[in-house]
Amino acid sequence: MKKLTIIFLWIFSLISAQVGPAKELHRNPPRAWALTNATIHASPGKTIVNGTVVMRNGMITSVGSDVKIPKQATIRDMEGKHIYAGFIESWLDVNTIKKDTSLQAHWNSNMRAYLKAADLFHPKDKELRDLRALGFTTAHITPKGGIFQGQSALVQLGKTPKVLSENIAQVIEFASSGWGSREYPTSLLGVIAFIRQGFYDATWYEKTGNILAKYPDGNEPIQKDRSLEALSSGKGKKQPFVFRTNNELYIDRSENIADEFDLTFWIRGNGYEYRRIDQMPASFMIVPLNFPGKPEVADPYQALQYTTEQLKHWDMAPDNVAKLVAAGFQVALTGSDLKNKKDFQKNLSRSINRGLNESDALAALTTNPAREFGQSKRLGKVAPGYIANLVIADNNYFSGESTVNAVWIDGNEYEIEPDPFVSIAGTWSLKERNNVWSLVLNKSAKGFSGEIKTENKSIKLNHVKVEQDRIAFSVKADTLLQKGVTRFQGTFTEKKAMGQSFYADGTSDNWSAVLETKKTPKKKKQKKEDPSNLDLVFPEGAYGLDEDVPNPKTILINDATVWTSGPKGILKEYDILIQDGKIKKIARNITLPRGNALVIDGAGKHVTPGLIDAHSHMAGESINEGFQNVTAEVRMRDVIDPNDVALYRGLAGGLTTINLLHGSANPIGGQNVVMKIRWGSFSDELIFKEAPQGIKFALGENVKRERPYGRYPESRMGVEQVIRDAFSSASDYKQSMDTHNKDVRLQRSAIPPRRDLELDALVEIMEGKRLVHSHSYRQDEILMLTRIAEDFGFTIGTFQHVLEGYKVAERLAEHGAGASTFSDWWAYKYEVVDAIPYNGTLMTNAGVTVSFNSDSDELARRMNLEAAKAVKYGGLDEAEALKLVTINPAKQLRIDKHVGSLEIGKDADFVIWSGHPLSTYSVCEQTWLDGKQYFSLEQDQYYRQRDAKVRNSIIQKILASPEDGEKAMRPKGRRGNRFDSCDALEAYLMEGEE
Amino acid sequence: MKQLMAAILLSTFLFPNNQIPAAPQKHPILLKNGFIHTVSNGVVNGSILFDKGKITHIGEFISPPDGAEVIDLDGKHVYPGFIAAVSRMGLVEISAVDVTNDHSERGDFNPNVRANVAYNPDSEIIPTTRSNGVLIANIVPASGLVSGQASIMMMDGWTWENATFAHPSGLHINWPQMGIRAGGRRFSMSAEKQNERRQKALEKLDEIMKQSHAYARLRQTNTRTAEDYHKEDLRLESMIPYVQGNLPIYIHANEVRQIEAAVHWANRHDVKIVLVGGKDAWRTIDLLKKNKIPVIYEGVTALPSRRYEDYDQAYKGAALLYEAGIQFCIASSSGDASRVRNLPNHAAMAAAYGLPKDEALRSITLSAAEILGIDPQVGSLESGKDATLFIANGDPLEIRTNVLQAYIQGRKIDMGDRHKMLYHKYQEKYRQLGILKE
Repeated sequence: MKKLTIIFLWIFSLISAQVGPAKELHRNPPRAWALTNATIHASPGKTIVNGTVVMRNGMITSVGSDVKIPKQATIRDMEGKHIYAGFIESWLDVNTIKKDTSLQAHWNSNMRAYLKAADLFHPKDKELRDLRALGFTTAHITPKGGIFQGQSALVQLGKTPKVLSENIAQVIEFASSGWGSREYPTSLLGVIAFIRQGFYDATWYEKTGNILAKYPDGNEPIQKDRSLEALSSGKGKKQPFVFRTNNELYIDRSENIADEFDLTFWIRGNGYEYRRIDQMPASFMIVPLNFPGKPEVADPYQALQYTTEQLKHWDMAPDNVAKLVAAGFQVALTGSDLKNKKDFQKNLSRSINRGLNESDALAALTTNPAREFGQSKRLGKVAPGYIANLVIADNNYFSGESTVNAVWIDGNEYEIEPDPFVSIAGTWSLKERNNVWSLVLNKSAKGFSGEIKTENKSIKLNHVKVEQDRIAFSVKADTLLQKGVTRFQGTFTEKKAMGQSFYADGTSDNWSAVLETKKTPKKKKQKKEDPSNLDLVFPEGAYGLDEDVPNPKTILINDATVWTSGPKGILKEYDILIQDGKIKKIARNITLPRGNALVIDGAGKHVTPGLIDAHSHMAGESINEGFQNVTAEVRMRDVIDPNDVALYRGLAGGLTTINLLHGSANPIGGQNVVMKIRWGSFSDELIFKEAPQGIKFALGENVKRERPYGRYPESRMGVEQVIRDAFSSASDYKQSMDTHNKDVRLQRSAIPPRRDLELDALVEIMEGKRLVHSHSYRQDEILMLTRIAEDFGFTIGTFQHVLEGYKVAERLAEHGAGASTFSDWWAYKYEVVDAIPYNGTLMTNAGVTVSFNSDSDELARRMNLEAAKAVKYGGLDEAEALKLVTINPAKQLRIDKHVGSLEIGKDADFVIWSGHPLSTYSVCEQTWLDGKQYFSLEQDQYYRQRDAKVRNSIIQKILASPEDGEKAMRPKGRRGNRFDSCDALEAYLMEGEE
Repeated sequence: MKQLMAAILLSTFLFPNNQIPAAPQKHPILLKNGFIHTVSNGVVNGSILFDKGKITHIGEFISPPDGAEVIDLDGKHVYPGFIAAVSRMGLVEISAVDVTNDHSERGDFNPNVRANVAYNPDSEIIPTTRSNGVLIANIVPASGLVSGQASIMMMDGWTWENATFAHPSGLHINWPQMGIRAGGRRFSMSAEKQNERRQKALEKLDEIMKQSHAYARLRQTNTRTAEDYHKEDLRLESMIPYVQGNLPIYIHANEVRQIEAAVHWANRHDVKIVLVGGKDAWRTIDLLKKNKIPVIYEGVTALPSRRYEDYDQAYKGAALLYEAGIQFCIASSSGDASRVRNLPNHAAMAAAYGLPKDEALRSITLSAAEILGIDPQVGSLESGKDATLFIANGDPLEIRTNVLQAYIQGRKIDMGDRHKMLYHKYQEKYRQLGILKE
């Protein structure tokens, strides 16, 4: 039978192929079918009972309960069947090429926008069969590989896939080749810069092309680049750009890029969308229907390895689709991330249990993708004029208990699991010799099983074998039959059966049976699962906020010792009045203003400005883009991870502001971002908006170290040259930009200079708009960089680490650079062999603005104690010492107008300490930013109790849930950072994190 | 006398030298008119007398014996020298420069290697460390499963033999990873493979003990028949005192399953163990208590082990052990050399988060000595104990406090170090430039 089907299908495919000569005689059977008596789910929400679908020549011609069936149509009785429009698999990756080696290739192999999935699709028969078995008749195929991956297409999943559209969308992935790779970009940082530069280049390429077409003479021809061409043409035609995302942060990053370049965009989702549903862009979402494996929590110690966020995700992920739909998103589904494709139907029915409406589920498989893919007039519905793509199921597809019997694609039938001639499942009354028993036959996914029942006994059937209407089985039943094993064989009709039984002694006899009922005693149904009853917090997991931080209008702190870090020094028994997030007054005995004020008793407490760390890598999902020696184009603001618990821990140590820096892998690294630790805020709101832009430089061992892929420079001499070279090319760039922008004639007829994000940043440095924060150790390199800066007319913002700064402090002061150093680190590498803990004091005394930094999530929690080391080593005055972590870093980051000291008009960023802030015995009790309390010992206790309860309840739920034999969830490991920030980690290991 | 004191203190600041190891104590020294923090017996507002390297008397008033050098403390404080219970002092100079590392031998099973033979008494790190009052350090090999034997060193001496206080102090074992590490591009080993690797390591640890027992039995037989004859095996030979329970085995383990497994392993093989690390020790209080396992609690200032743990989990870990009545001391990290000078900060952090101040001080002096088994000689200020102590201008657990003078076995220590030297050198530069006026 199977063979027969295949031959049939082969014939069909020949018939439907319209081009090309006939191989033998023409075959022209009528391609007309009528499927009758079915439950037709014509479109989401519209069901026809006892309906008929008529198809002719690959198209649906009529649908309804009372339709005329054309004469030539073959009629199929579909009683009991459910018919749906063919499902659309909204994401199916196709393998791409390694590299474009043509003359029209982009310089970087990650740019391959010219590729078309339609040209790359070479499915194996089994892949197609597996897809059809789930009911998929059409797929959105997507090229995978590189960053700009190429254009997706829509194909019919018949034996010979037919392309419906070859330019659906441009696919983009934030794919880095990883640390140690031999091509830029190697990190998320670089990837985002590469995407942005790609779009700028596409615009430039188009403009240049137009000018060249108009003025072919006098302009030097440019290298042809078919990817840039594809990008600019796609952008011009408003073709959608679809971004592959790993989690909700990537959705935000996609949106930022789409906004910057005014793109029509879609999101290839990730399963984490439910976490930020309120803030998500209203774009079309293609959401994977795979759920996390079960955490292994039966061993209580093993359970400790799972983060709270992971445990919650297990419980909440199956709600994702339902929540998205409820929030009004246009959703399409994909099973492409499933390891076991058969889980698709199971997960779909789980989603429905969790609150997804069946008609919304159907829409997500049919009308939604059809509309977004521009096919709403011919795909997604069982309606006249639509392509004859159908799913035939023996039950409601979304019930979780249905089998797809067949799909129709282009009016051709593909059998999946056809019904047998006779359905033998049921309870039969069996007569064998003089005995009458019940014969119960069950059918499951694994096949048939059964039993023979007497009044008080039940005997299992062995070796049950069913083929269409024929059965064979054995029974070992000494008492009922004969000693030994008795074998049965027989054939069924709808209501009767007969056959022979063979006994252990070699004799045989006849048996017969009549149907009692088609029903078989149902197995225990799996309990319907409920939606998760957990609350979302942000960031998700432990210490996440369940509501916004309260924002009191007026706050009064009474009778505290106030370390102003300003001209007033240390004030004992003073009051601070805060209004609307700003410091209003600092005086003795401030009387309460009218109205409500939050009063904090500061008696015995010390209040300091919020601590500032001028060198941090916390909340950076990616730290180094180290492949090239200059990467001024990459930006830390693109890779902020607001989920990093290091932020919270920093707050618990009085830290309020950090300078998130690029790593030290290259002489000119990426752009930094200054952040306020507004824990519980998303990336954008963490950014310290008033802080000027900056950039990381690095000198010495980290940058000159030999790379496996070979990279200039490998000596301090080369480092100097790389930086000089960068600035001289930035000068040239600025020159050509200025010339072009001033001359209207040039603008009309000459090729414009190409906008270069890297050079833009360097020009900003020269213009004094971008502060340089340079990683440095030795005096020679410190001097060197001040000289380069002066040659190019700018001042270095800070030298970071600057452990030999004490040797050239007068030069630092003269140049005007700040020094952000470690309190007492040394001996970890050769270039710090002369590092001394007196560095801070010596530089301060020479007139340099000095800060102490952490460069470590751990140290960042006790910056006050770092400051205390300046008292110990070199005897700095205590108030001056505290300034090393308050006003001084604020000055270095040029944010001292807003933060860094407790003075009238400044942001109310402050810390309340249990005692002297430079004492090792003191504890940070409260941390405030903008007049809002972001940390307190009390609130911390609340989180602890809440989170312990949540963990416990999920663990109980996991233990109570049925064993499903699926692969367990992999724990997030020791640090429990949600992301494997391997770039960062590896960069730390290989480059040193300094 | 005050002037003498001032001169002594100043001289070390003004004229740093290349830190010449001190000569043996030649005359009695009386430190008077200060606060003597004995650790074992409260604070005495008075004097301390020591001679020939040993403390002879502590009291409110002590009259100086003949020939005594008398130093007026003028209200300053005397403490027993801090003890770094685990460290790499002298075994590494610059960690990133591979050739200066001598703490890790090749291979998994190195019970025979001895730390003190690789101790560099001229390491620049040593003077900077004793400048903060750390006068004794247990130095620990680091690599593989069985790393080697540790040695207790005094932070002054011409040679490693001079500087050795006790050897061996114990055998060090890194307990295998018991958990499943998260996947990722850097570490892609499957959970199954990790389980397999763990099983192998655990089997190996048992196998080592069985072999060592067998070897020990063989070595004890007096007969020298052909059957008993055996070739010497340096590794197994060095295991004998440990399998016989004469010396403790230090197990480095932080995670709860490691701790649990290590304790049961010790019981199975009837050996004495000390737990090093102990981040999760608070989760296994009863087990540790029942089996009387001492804990060298490492890294008070460390980050929590798990994302959801209390931000101050490591800070308060020592207090939790103290409250549970478990014998413990505090160390910085067994991987530390250049940061051992911050040992008092670790103790102070524990005090800020619940450990009584006295206990915090004890945790890096007497408690450490007790666990290392050197409390008869050091760890507190008592008559008969070594005069290994220092003078400070305040509470040495406070960062702002400075150690003014140290004595190791009564020998007056050169308080200069590389950092002070460079400090003075560059102060001179700024004096020459007219930037520094003093």
